Amino acid sequence: MSWIIQQFKKESWNPYVAGALFGVVVALAPILTGNLMGSSGSFINLAGLIERVITPKLADNMFFKYIWKLGVNWQLILLVGVFFGAMASSMFSGTFRFTNSTRQWREIYGPQVWKRWVLAFFAGITVQYGASLAGGCTSGLAISGTMLLAPAGLIFTAGLFGSGILTTLIIYRRRY
Amino acid sequence: MSGLFSALIFGLCFGFLLNKARLTKMDTIVNQFRFKDFTVLKYMLTTLIVAMPIIYLMQDLGVYTISNVPNTYVVGNLLGGVIFGVGMSIGGF
Repeated sequence: MSWIIQQFKKESWNPYVAGALFGVVVALAPILTGNLMGSSGSFINLAGLIERVITPKLADNMFFKYIWKLGVNWQLILLVGVFFGAMASSMFSGTFRFTNSTRQWREIYGPQVWKRWVLAFFAGITVQYGASLAGGCTSGLAISGTMLLAPAGLIFTAGLFGSGILTTLIIYRRRY
Repeated sequence: MSGLFSALIFGLCFGFLLNKARLTKMDTIVNQFRFKDFTVLKYMLTTLIVAMPIIYLMQDLGVYTISNVPNTYVVGNLLGGVIFGVGMSIGGF
């Protein structure tokens, strides 16, 4: 028991160990509950639910009527769990804190705090747009999709790494 | 209701393991694209290696039949991945 507590208090685990444990979790999700562990759909749901409360007219569109079923579903609750799970993990290890950016980020982009927020905002839009277009994100498509041997997962992963490397190469230039 | 409760449990495990693998840090994500830190690949590929046999073993045992497989539409998947990669590199998520 004390061994488990000791492990919980560690800041990080070997990625192979964490990955293997996640492999069991991500495989059990569809077997036990019939749901794939994806998180990009939750944001569409969340945005749609907020939209329906604030501007019901805008939410009354073709997409939410025929294509997307709005509601508090499995994936949305999963996202809540992810938030609190990561928070619990960082609190166990005592690394929980509020930060705007990291040292490496400041070396590349500069010290301004607003810059990080603006970039994170637009990067968030980009990521969600890409995920919606592809039909999933890193967890839903790249991991869960590839796990089921769906070609979509492999194609998505290839595109993701290709453009990710290229973008980082352009931004970091000589410091790459 | 038990369905939604299971989502919470799976989510807690997911978030916990992501944080323990340092994947909730933006530097880890960007440094994968710089080939300085291979945590993302180590984590993702180990996950696949463990998950795939479980899925296919359970299917062969007749416990589970594969359903709701993500749709494949090459241009959309690829373009989505390319756009996703740009945001992932800049935002670090």
